[in-house]
Amino acid sequence: MTVAVEYYVLLSMAVFCIGLMGVLTRRNALLFLMSVELMLNAANINLIAFAFYHGNLTGQVFALFTMALAAAEVAVGLGIILVLYRNFRDVDVTVPTTMRW
Amino acid sequence: MNDWIAIGALALVGLLIPLGMMAVSYLLRPTVPETSKRATYESGEIPTGGTRVRFNIQYYTVALLFLVFDIETVLLFPWAVVYLDAVESDSVSLLEILGPMLLFVAILLVGLAWAWRNGAVQWAQTPRQAAADSDRQ
Amino acid sequence: MAAYQLPQWAALAPALLLALTGLVLFLIDSISPRSTDRTLLAGTAAVGALASLAVAVWFTAAGVGTPTVDGGEGVIEIFDGQFVVDQLALYFMIVVTIVTALIVVASYDYLAGHTYQAEYYSLVVLAATGMATVAAANSLVTIFIALELTSLPSYALVAILKDNRGSVEAGLKYFLIGALSSAIFVYGISLVYGATGVLQLDSIAEVIADGGADGFGGLLGLGILMLLGGIAFKTASVPFHFWAPEAYEGAPAPISAFLSSASKAAGFVIAFRVFNVAFPLGEIGNVIGFDWTVAFVVLAIVTMTVGNFAAATQENVKRMLAYSSIGHAGYALIGLAGLSADGGELVMGAALMHLLVYGFMNTGAFLFVALAEHWGVGRTFEDYNGLSSQAPVACGAMAVFLFSLAGIPPFGGFFSKYFLFTGALQAATANTAMLAVAAALVVNSALSLYYYSRLVKALWIEDPPATRDRLGQPTGLYAAIVVAAVMTIVILPGFGPVAEAATGAAEALVN
Repeated sequence: MTVAVEYYVLLSMAVFCIGLMGVLTRRNALLFLMSVELMLNAANINLIAFAFYHGNLTGQVFALFTMALAAAEVAVGLGIILVLYRNFRDVDVTVPTTMRW
Repeated sequence: MNDWIAIGALALVGLLIPLGMMAVSYLLRPTVPETSKRATYESGEIPTGGTRVRFNIQYYTVALLFLVFDIETVLLFPWAVVYLDAVESDSVSLLEILGPMLLFVAILLVGLAWAWRNGAVQWAQTPRQAAADSDRQ
Repeated sequence: MAAYQLPQWAALAPALLLALTGLVLFLIDSISPRSTDRTLLAGTAAVGALASLAVAVWFTAAGVGTPTVDGGEGVIEIFDGQFVVDQLALYFMIVVTIVTALIVVASYDYLAGHTYQAEYYSLVVLAATGMATVAAANSLVTIFIALELTSLPSYALVAILKDNRGSVEAGLKYFLIGALSSAIFVYGISLVYGATGVLQLDSIAEVIADGGADGFGGLLGLGILMLLGGIAFKTASVPFHFWAPEAYEGAPAPISAFLSSASKAAGFVIAFRVFNVAFPLGEIGNVIGFDWTVAFVVLAIVTMTVGNFAAATQENVKRMLAYSSIGHAGYALIGLAGLSADGGELVMGAALMHLLVYGFMNTGAFLFVALAEHWGVGRTFEDYNGLSSQAPVACGAMAVFLFSLAGIPPFGGFFSKYFLFTGALQAATANTAMLAVAAALVVNSALSLYYYSRLVKALWIEDPPATRDRLGQPTGLYAAIVVAAVMTIVILPGFGPVAEAATGAAEALVN
């Protein structure tokens, strides 16, 4: 019994929207990072489901690349969050407001 | 649709068993609140400090290095899948299939060497290094 | 014709040279960590960037990417078409390497006394590698990877002044919005892949033309919109422009110059290539129900208006330049807005020219801010009062940059804007909305003259405050600023070849 591709797209859209919601509402930089990861993984679900649907491997290989890049992004992001903490003693993204319009 | 009934039943049972066990033990057990029960568990030792201790920042750099290098193996994976076929076929020379990956690993090694030399994996510092570090900050 | 034939992959040499430079910088720092030998490090980076520039110019002159009927070598495809080296790719490689070389030379003085010298230069060069790779990428996979290679070092570079709150805050904001937009971008890629089943740009166009995506119009349309979001972030266009003023203001000024010129150019090359090659006008309209030029018309007008109006109200010079850079993104977007199914290479060529000229004048303007930060004179317009009496050369160069940015006739900026205007008018015959775009261009240029001349007035007419120390003359910064100023002027007599290269690149892409 195979699951139709629509359900995968629905799942990935749901995951993407959860991630987007997290990005828009969370104030903690670490949770923000996790939400972005959710969005990237939603794209991965799509890529792999569509690779299966279209019967080629392009999407699967691209999903591997996305994973690697997501890890690299997290590494850089954690570094920035660390210096943020050192400077502001907080990881709340709304705290640093030294610059305004 | 029969398959789904089975899955639903399994989920139900999976929920009921732990909830039931918790309920039964709640009904049967005696309640004797006592401070030592609430203390942090440290394998029978007398606890020192809370559970929320600050870790050395060194863990963080090592974790970052691990994260990046661990995930890079993902990129080895598609290459490994085609490797045998490529070696057996005559149209691709060994250099053509092995070379790019060696280059990739070499680039990673440059990165690792850089991190190593800049002290990302240095656990203890000699006084001289510590002095050099404090200059740097 | 070269007497011997280089291997195919050598066509990527500009990007490969930059990558090699980055690795060499890492090796230098591994051999002697904590070395702050600025001459060696900046020198290596500058040599790498200039070598890459030389190779890109050589390739262009030798006819790589020029169609074979015109006596060129033809477009070179590498890795089964994952990369293409055509005129457009070489053109943008030239833009990127020029800016990189200017930045590296200027950073020599700006970074004096900074602890992370080698890291800084290698990150700059690696980001430039990403931008050069973006220019040649011909598949959504390679575009995404190259884009991340551009973004990740940029995040770190913005936040490199670790103890400066502004820099860290700017880095955080840049990173957060960048991570969000790259997630949106990759989701868009996955939707386009779902609709077509391929990721290579020309294959996507083939599938769409064959009707392979007919049932997936909604999916494809949504995917294209999401790709647009990712591109808007990279080019600092509405609706993803919020990071730009913060990141440019907080970042070290050479990095602001780098991001606002080279990184923006990289964003535009993606936009040009993806939308022209993968989603050719006409066919795409039948599948998704609307033409993407509509989106670009709206984006161009809104972006230039938002950028210029916000710039006019600024008191802080760097922030003013940041908003003006958003406005200029709007001007360059005209290049895509003006396309139509059967033409528009003139307006796109104009956008390419504008990006090259902009590479000089905007980099120069930000480097002047870097010079002011180096002097420590302050950040607002008033702090810049009367600098010309103490540093006439730099202030003269700054006046050139500002008038060129505003589009005053004797400078390069006038010509690119003029071509954009005529191109927009010409495109208006096919698409009347372009008249509105042309009008917005004129109105915004007039407005921009106001705030640019305000800064010139502060520099040249206002009296300097009595208490200002003597100003130094840092060699590297001065050299970079003067070169940028000279190029902004010299590009005028040399406009023929530039215009030719830009229109050639545009024609090759559109048709």
